[in-house]
Amino acid sequence: MKTWQQRFGNWLAQHLDLPTDVILELPRITTIGQIHAYIENHKGLLQFSEHEIRLKLNQGQLRIKGKGFVLRMMLPEEILVEGTIEEVTFLQENS
Amino acid sequence: MKITQGVFFTGYTTVKVKGKFPEFFFNRCSEKGIMLWDIKKIDEYTCQANIKLEDVSLLKQTRRNTDYKISFEKRMGLPFWLSSLLSKKPLVIGFLLGCMMIFLLSNMVWSIQIDGVTPEIEHKIEKNLDKYGVQFGAWKFNIDTPSMMQQKLLTDIPELLWIGITENGTTYHLQGIEKTIVEENIEKGAQHLIASKKGVIVDMFVEAGVPLVKVNDFVEEGDMLVSGLIGQEDKEEAVRAKGEIIAETWYKSQLSIPLSVNYNVLTGEKKNQYAINIAGFEVPIWGFGDPDYKKIHTETYNKPFYLFKWEIPLSLTTKKLWEKEEFEKARTKDEAVQAGIEQAKKELREKLHEDAEFISEKVLHSKKENGTVKLILYFKVQENIVKTQPITQGD
Repeated sequence: MKTWQQRFGNWLAQHLDLPTDVILELPRITTIGQIHAYIENHKGLLQFSEHEIRLKLNQGQLRIKGKGFVLRMMLPEEILVEGTIEEVTFLQENS
Repeated sequence: MKITQGVFFTGYTTVKVKGKFPEFFFNRCSEKGIMLWDIKKIDEYTCQANIKLEDVSLLKQTRRNTDYKISFEKRMGLPFWLSSLLSKKPLVIGFLLGCMMIFLLSNMVWSIQIDGVTPEIEHKIEKNLDKYGVQFGAWKFNIDTPSMMQQKLLTDIPELLWIGITENGTTYHLQGIEKTIVEENIEKGAQHLIASKKGVIVDMFVEAGVPLVKVNDFVEEGDMLVSGLIGQEDKEEAVRAKGEIIAETWYKSQLSIPLSVNYNVLTGEKKNQYAINIAGFEVPIWGFGDPDYKKIHTETYNKPFYLFKWEIPLSLTTKKLWEKEEFEKARTKDEAVQAGIEQAKKELREKLHEDAEFISEKVLHSKKENGTVKLILYFKVQENIVKTQPITQGD
């Protein structure tokens, strides 16, 4: 069930052309080729290894698979991953 | 990456974390606001990251009551670098001493080269330079500037016609020219003598040539006085006419003389102030505060410091403050006229040949106007008016 804020947010984003990531508090993932992935608005680092990174999102998780991962920068809500990215997957919360 | 800019100056360190899910620890750190970068997982239980030096205590706080073990691997940046340097005191002291030595040695006179003069004069110059304090191993800021030295040398050694001093780092290079007594060029060319200015002839002495004028004759400028052509009309011979024709000439000069004069007199009281000039800023080092003189005459000298042969933006400024007294003297009109005559004579004297003689002076006109006296003066002078004119052969 979506709360009324989410519905209102959806409406705002659709009709007023506001950036959805800000209004809906969704992550913004920017990748530069295969080498960089820049994730904003995540809710925490769950797992990190050379081949896989898992981030907590507002709803569900984000999994990035690849090779030779290094976290170039880590701030409370931003992460910059460097390495060779092979796959970005959204995992739904299995409730 | 913008956030890691400047971390070299604040200092940063590499932390290694050991424990189960080490990335979890970093997650907590970042939640607390610690900036982390270059996080690497080494194996399942170890992870390393860079953090700023200022975040270390927060990191230790976060670690408390957890099972993680942290160790600091590398210490980088300016603060660590400085402290490691300071722990090597002999090195630092040696370096500073070295700098000081270079600075001091750059400000010494190491050699004096004298060129272009005979050994005799060279010896004289060396002796004089010694007297001025310019010698091997002297401090450069104790000695005069090259131009002042030049003047002193020229007055002290009359045999010198000219001396040039160039200061090249620690070397003084002197280039001298000696006076040589050149024997007067005896020109064999035939010549007439003509008048260089108008006047009345009072005296004449002709060595060679045919005089065309007599005493008491009035001559205009350019008139022929002594002809170089002698002999009969058909057997003329050109000779070199020689002689002195003294004539009375007249000069008029116009000048205005102020009725009141200001004199500045130094009382002899003086105070020296020294300051180090660092790129335009003066830092006083000796002689603080201005003396309570009413009027001050200031002389400022600047001595630059050198590093090797380059001037560095550092110099020693010496200020000499002299007490000055001003007098104002009012003159009567007669006194002003007298002073005017003296002044005009002096000015005229500079233009005339040194043998010229003042016979009389006359005030043609004097008028008091706005605190000054306007004068028109008239001088009678006796001088040699001879000018040579070569006879071109072949006319």
